[in-house]
Amino acid sequence: MDSTKNAVGGKKMSAKVKGYLILFALVFVSWLIFKILTPDNFGSPENMLSYFQASLIASAGAVGFYFVLVMGMFDFSIGAAIILASIIGCKLAASMGLGYMGLIGGCLIAGAIIGILNGVFYIKLRIPSMIVTTGLALIYEATANIIAGGVEQTLPSDLRMFGQMPGNLILALLTFAAAYFILNYTKIGTYTYAIGSNEFIAKNMGINVNKYKILAFVISGIFFGIMSILTISYGSSMVAVTGMASMSRNFIPTMGCFFGVAFKKYGMPIQAIILGEFMINIIFYGFVALGAPTAIQDVITGFALLIIITLTTKINKGEIVK
Amino acid sequence: MSEIRLQVQNLCKSFGITKAVQNVSFNINKGEVHALIGENGSGKSTLTNMLTGIYTIGSGKFILDGKEVHPKNQVEANLEGISIIVQELGTLSGLTVAENIFLGHEDQFVKHGIKNREAINRKANELLQQYGFKHIKAEHQIDEYNFEDRKLVEIVKATYFHPKIVVIDETTTALSQEGREELYKHMDRIRKEGNTVIFISHDLPEILDKSDTITIMRDGVYIDTVKSADVTEDDLKRLMVGREVTGDYYRPDYGEKVSDEVVLSVRNVSVPNVLEDVSFDLHKGEILGFGGLSESGMHEIGKAIFGASYDRTGTVTLADGTEINDIPTAIKHSIAYTSKDRDNESIIMNQSIGDNITLPSLDDLAGKCKLLSDKKLSDFANKFAAQMSVKMQNIDQFVSDLSGGNKQKVVLARWIGKDSDILVLDSPTRGIDIKVKQDIYQLMDTMRKHNKSIIMISEELMELIGMCDRIIIMKDGKLNGELPRSRDLDENLLISKMV
Repeated sequence: MDSTKNAVGGKKMSAKVKGYLILFALVFVSWLIFKILTPDNFGSPENMLSYFQASLIASAGAVGFYFVLVMGMFDFSIGAAIILASIIGCKLAASMGLGYMGLIGGCLIAGAIIGILNGVFYIKLRIPSMIVTTGLALIYEATANIIAGGVEQTLPSDLRMFGQMPGNLILALLTFAAAYFILNYTKIGTYTYAIGSNEFIAKNMGINVNKYKILAFVISGIFFGIMSILTISYGSSMVAVTGMASMSRNFIPTMGCFFGVAFKKYGMPIQAIILGEFMINIIFYGFVALGAPTAIQDVITGFALLIIITLTTKINKGEIVK
Repeated sequence: MSEIRLQVQNLCKSFGITKAVQNVSFNINKGEVHALIGENGSGKSTLTNMLTGIYTIGSGKFILDGKEVHPKNQVEANLEGISIIVQELGTLSGLTVAENIFLGHEDQFVKHGIKNREAINRKANELLQQYGFKHIKAEHQIDEYNFEDRKLVEIVKATYFHPKIVVIDETTTALSQEGREELYKHMDRIRKEGNTVIFISHDLPEILDKSDTITIMRDGVYIDTVKSADVTEDDLKRLMVGREVTGDYYRPDYGEKVSDEVVLSVRNVSVPNVLEDVSFDLHKGEILGFGGLSESGMHEIGKAIFGASYDRTGTVTLADGTEINDIPTAIKHSIAYTSKDRDNESIIMNQSIGDNITLPSLDDLAGKCKLLSDKKLSDFANKFAAQMSVKMQNIDQFVSDLSGGNKQKVVLARWIGKDSDILVLDSPTRGIDIKVKQDIYQLMDTMRKHNKSIIMISEELMELIGMCDRIIIMKDGKLNGELPRSRDLDENLLISKMV
């Protein structure tokens, strides 16, 4: 029995290494395919740095969304939250003249409030999180539209420190470190996995499940607030949309988060999210370099990501997947 | 005179119109193993679930060492000095061993909101060493360990803080002999420390052997408290059921010739790391038993026959030449299977009793145009629920509301309703009370006489000896001997081939 467990211990070490190897191999293969297809205008070291910087934006949100996803909940209001938080941050920074304090404070507080609303509505209404957040997304979109007054909100050029190196990198690294810390060095991380594993037992262990579910949405909201800072700083402006048009912004952070869940068994969810988002960006920019029509890009990207997640997710035989 | 540890006073609990516990009062002493027995649905688990904070107290009181306690959850119960080891898996996937042991009690390792992972792992490893579970590592994910080891982790979790009362709720049925011995050792230690074990089990010889005092409950009502030394197994049966348990407990016949007609042939079946080159035949009207230690591979036999094993090689063939490689083919060809892991593999918890019973028979019950009649489905479910004496409000009640034994009855009712010709029953009487056990044995005997063939997989050696025409013993994934039905068979002979 001891030897088995020693073997298990050894396996655990190699699992993490294996996880990294798979992720770096995926990044390399993605790069290689497009480098072969379009060698001149894709994949130089400068280009790769640019793709990586772009991927930091979604990664910052995805590492927060991971807490919600692992608990077995979902959020369809990601795009609407980013638009609303960006517009509030931009308004406070520019129109109200609060500068970086307005940008950072506005985005973070807006994100936190959105997280509280998502969590409280989900708990109080006792209906699936997907439905709650879809309904709330419409409200967030409308709110953003009212605040923006139908006008595109532009962040002044002197407030775009987080849209370029090293500001974006520093903010993203601090964000990743915070997510890693919360997940591994606080009770929140333990309870996140406990609730995701068996909510009933977690409740019987004295864990205030509802409180921690709301907290997961709040953490997620704050991290989407950080993503909003990076988004508006990088893109310089934000337009409020309606009719669920914000949903298109859900895709990239959600896919990155799926990488985190898929690589949870390798013990490296945060790292997987970061590298997963990087790979997604490589694929996107690869298609742009190829000049492929958007519809084709979407179809191939969708399939490519499904295949990658399928191949990298270690589902045991007989394990039920929902 | 022994000192009283826990006074149960006028305790009541209802679920809807069902009165699960009715005005129960009795005392439990310090330094004793106090067994709580009764048929399924007698209220034992409801009572201990109230004591451990899993259910809220309906009315009445628990007085622990002179002080009233009413914990709202297990952590509060732990703080009062009460803990529980549950029947099914009580550890959480996704967490480490250490995180599971201290779940809900992490604050001792948290300073300024930061969890000291090294300290929590160090403390957990110390405990695991003390308990002699050196092969379990605190920092490893709990998912890396099997059911048995995870139960050992639960023992540590429930007892490391020297609680005044440890509730052990039908845990032994889930353990192999080795695991049981480990648990008994710790029960004895708790008793010697002057603390108390409340021990729930349906295994009456085990109850008589391991407990000092026994309280009997029936239909949610307190019946009696007796000293183990003063009663026999038959006395306990009478107290539990409310009348003499008459007639033959197991099938009475010996020397009957089993038909030569083979209905199912298993050849060279292997499942990686579980089964190795297993071959045998099942005859018409035969009860073929499989025994062994929990990890001997015997439980996989059932899955392999039912087409539920992954990576199986070899063949499972019916008399007409049909090969069984998947579950739909097995069901279509009249094979039924009940899993040992009832809650996860046999029962759909959040569906009604009716839905659970009718599920595999929907095709048979469908009328013209494949439409289903509510009345027909209800009649069918009611008939077989009644045949199995399921204690329920009606067939629309959710299975999740039922006691463990009643859930098992629903599983059996499903396959009896399907009228299958070959039944693979893995631990069919696990967690089932004495009266229903007897009913199941009689049902199996009747089925056998009606030329149904049964494979009975069980860790209860006496029921294998009492019910089977042949017993195959498994060891390390291989067949390790076959014993024909005989009055001379005893447990020791089987055990000698198991270990």
